[in-house]
Amino acid sequence: MFTSTGNNFGAGTIQFKDYQAENYVVLNAKFSYDPTNAAYQAADVLEIYVPDLSINRSAVAGVILTFQDRYVYSSYTWNNDGGTAIKSWIKDKNTICLEKFTNFDDKGEITIFIQALYAQKNQPGNPIKGTRTRINMTQETRYLYWSSETFCVIFEHWVFLHMQFSSCSYSYRSQPWEAQMGDFPTDVNADVPFLGGSNQYNPSVNGFSLAHVENGVFTCQERMSGFDSTGYDPFIFAFLVRDGE
Amino acid sequence: MQALPSIAFGGFSGSAKDVTARQVGGRTILSVRSFPTGPTTSAQVVRRASLSKISKSFKLLTADQMQGWDRLAEHCSGASVFGQKAEISGLNLYIRLNVSRTMAGESILSDAPTSLVALPNVTYENIWVTPKTIVIKGIAHEAGYKMVVKMSAGQSAGVSSGWSKTVIITPGMEDDWGDADLSYLYFKTLGVKPAVGQKVFLEMYWLDPVSGFTGQTTKDARVCESEEDAAAEGYVKRNKITMADLKEESHVSECDVDFSTNSPVISFDAVCLGHSNVASSEAYLEDELPADCVGTSMALARGMGEGNACFAAQSYIIWLRNSSWDGSSITFAHRGGYYVKPTEVFGPGILY
Repeated sequence: MFTSTGNNFGAGTIQFKDYQAENYVVLNAKFSYDPTNAAYQAADVLEIYVPDLSINRSAVAGVILTFQDRYVYSSYTWNNDGGTAIKSWIKDKNTICLEKFTNFDDKGEITIFIQALYAQKNQPGNPIKGTRTRINMTQETRYLYWSSETFCVIFEHWVFLHMQFSSCSYSYRSQPWEAQMGDFPTDVNADVPFLGGSNQYNPSVNGFSLAHVENGVFTCQERMSGFDSTGYDPFIFAFLVRDGE
Repeated sequence: MQALPSIAFGGFSGSAKDVTARQVGGRTILSVRSFPTGPTTSAQVVRRASLSKISKSFKLLTADQMQGWDRLAEHCSGASVFGQKAEISGLNLYIRLNVSRTMAGESILSDAPTSLVALPNVTYENIWVTPKTIVIKGIAHEAGYKMVVKMSAGQSAGVSSGWSKTVIITPGMEDDWGDADLSYLYFKTLGVKPAVGQKVFLEMYWLDPVSGFTGQTTKDARVCESEEDAAAEGYVKRNKITMADLKEESHVSECDVDFSTNSPVISFDAVCLGHSNVASSEAYLEDELPADCVGTSMALARGMGEGNACFAAQSYIIWLRNSSWDGSSITFAHRGGYYVKPTEVFGPGILY
C-alpha cells in the first residue's frame, strides 16, 4: 500500500494497493478527477507521481475510465453510465502515466480504475504460465448465469479475474445482485468496473455498472439501463492485489 | 564559369561540365555532379516534395521569425573541412531542422528553437544481419528522442565504403526496449532481403522531434550471415511476433506480441480486422511458436472503428498454438463487450 506524492491533473492524493516484483508490478487504485480543472486541461498525458517503484519503465497496460450520465424522468432514472479502456504505462520509477482520453470530459467527474499489471519487455525469459481456475458462481436461488469465460488465475500475491455475464432471471433484473464466488480467493476486496450493455446516449462506448468483490462474494447493486442488451456482453477484467500476507 | 589561373588564388564560382565551384563562408567548394544510381523511390519523391514545401514556407515567415533563425544560425556550424568551419544561413538551418521534424511526423516549426540541443551518439552492443533478421541490440535508450536509421541494399563484401548508397529505413523510431528490429522496414523500403555474404552499410543518429536537431551520425557495416552462424556467434532471437513473422493472409494490420516479459503475462499490441463474419482474427505465423509460449491468454481491447460502439472496451481470448494440421497461429477471439472492427488488443494478457 502506498499513496501518490502528486499528479498533474488535479486528482488529489491517490491510494494504491500494490504488489511489486523485480520485473513487474500489479497496481490497484480508484480515483476521480474533474475535467474542468486547469491542471487537467493543461496536461497532454496524465501523470501520477509515486514513491520509488520496483521497475523504472513498463509496457502499456489497460485501465478503465468511467463516467456517470443519468436522465431523470418523472418516476424513472435512465442510467447511461459508460466507460472504456485507456492506456497506461510506467514512465520512470516515480511516474505512472495515463492516456488523456477527452471524449467524455463534458460528463462531469471521471473515475479511473487502475487494476493493471505493468510488465517489462526484453527480459531474460518467456512468460510464466499460470493455471486457469473456473469460478463456481452459486446462489441460494439461482438467478444469475455466467459464461464459461468466468475464471481466475491465482498467484500468491495477486489474482487475475475475468467474469462474463450471460443472463439474469427476469424477476431479478432490477434487484441488487449477490453470488458466492466458489474457488476464488477470499482475501480480495475491490470495487470492479463491469463494462457492457448498450449505451443509448453514449453509443461510442459500452455501459458501465459498478460491482464489488469481497470475501469471495460478488455484489452489484444496480446496473446501467441497457445492461442486458444482446451482443453487449458485460465483463470484468482485472488484475487484483490480494490482502493476505 | 569564371576561371581563375590557379586554385591557390581561391574565388572560384560557377560550373563547367560536371564540376561546380561555389564560395561558402570564405571557402571554395568544388563538387562533382552526381547521378542517381537507381530508380527514384516513392520515399525519395515524398522527401523532395517536403523539402520544396519547407523552402517555400520560409518566405511566409515574419521578419522577426527570420531574424530568429539567422540568430540561431550564427551559433551553428556545418561540418568542418580542412580546419575551416562551415557557416550555415538562417534559411538552411530552417530547412535542415524542419526536414528532420517533418520526417519524424511533426509540423513545420516557424519560430527558431531558443537554444541549441546537443544530442548523444547512438550507442549499441551489436548489429545482426541475416536474410531474415536485421536487428540492432543493446541500444542505450534515450527518452524523448527518435532514432533515424539509413541502410544500403546488399553490396559486395569487398566494398569498403557504401554509406553513400544508404536510404532512410526509418525516419524516427524509438528503440524497443533496447532493440531496433529493422527486418520488416528494410524489406518494405528496399524490396529485397540481404543475401548471405553481402555487406550492408548503416548510418544511425538520434533526432529530437521537438527542435529538429540531430546528433552525430554513427556509421557501421555488417556482412549478412546465415541464421545458424549468427546463433553460433551468440545471437539470441527475442521472443516476439511482429508483422514480419506473419503470413499475408493474416487478419491483423499491426502485430506486436512480445513474450519476453519473464512474468505471468504476454504483452500485446495488435490491430484485429476480423474476417468471414466471425468475431475473431487469425494471425498465421511463418515459424512455430516456442513450446513454452503455446497456451491461452486473455487481454483487454478497445474499438478503433466508426459509428456504434467505436470505442467499446472488450476482452479477447487469445489462442497461441502450433498445429501439425494447419501450422502455427495466434487467434484473437472476441469475448466481453460489444464487438467492433477494427479493434486494438493491447496490454498484458495473462497466460495459462
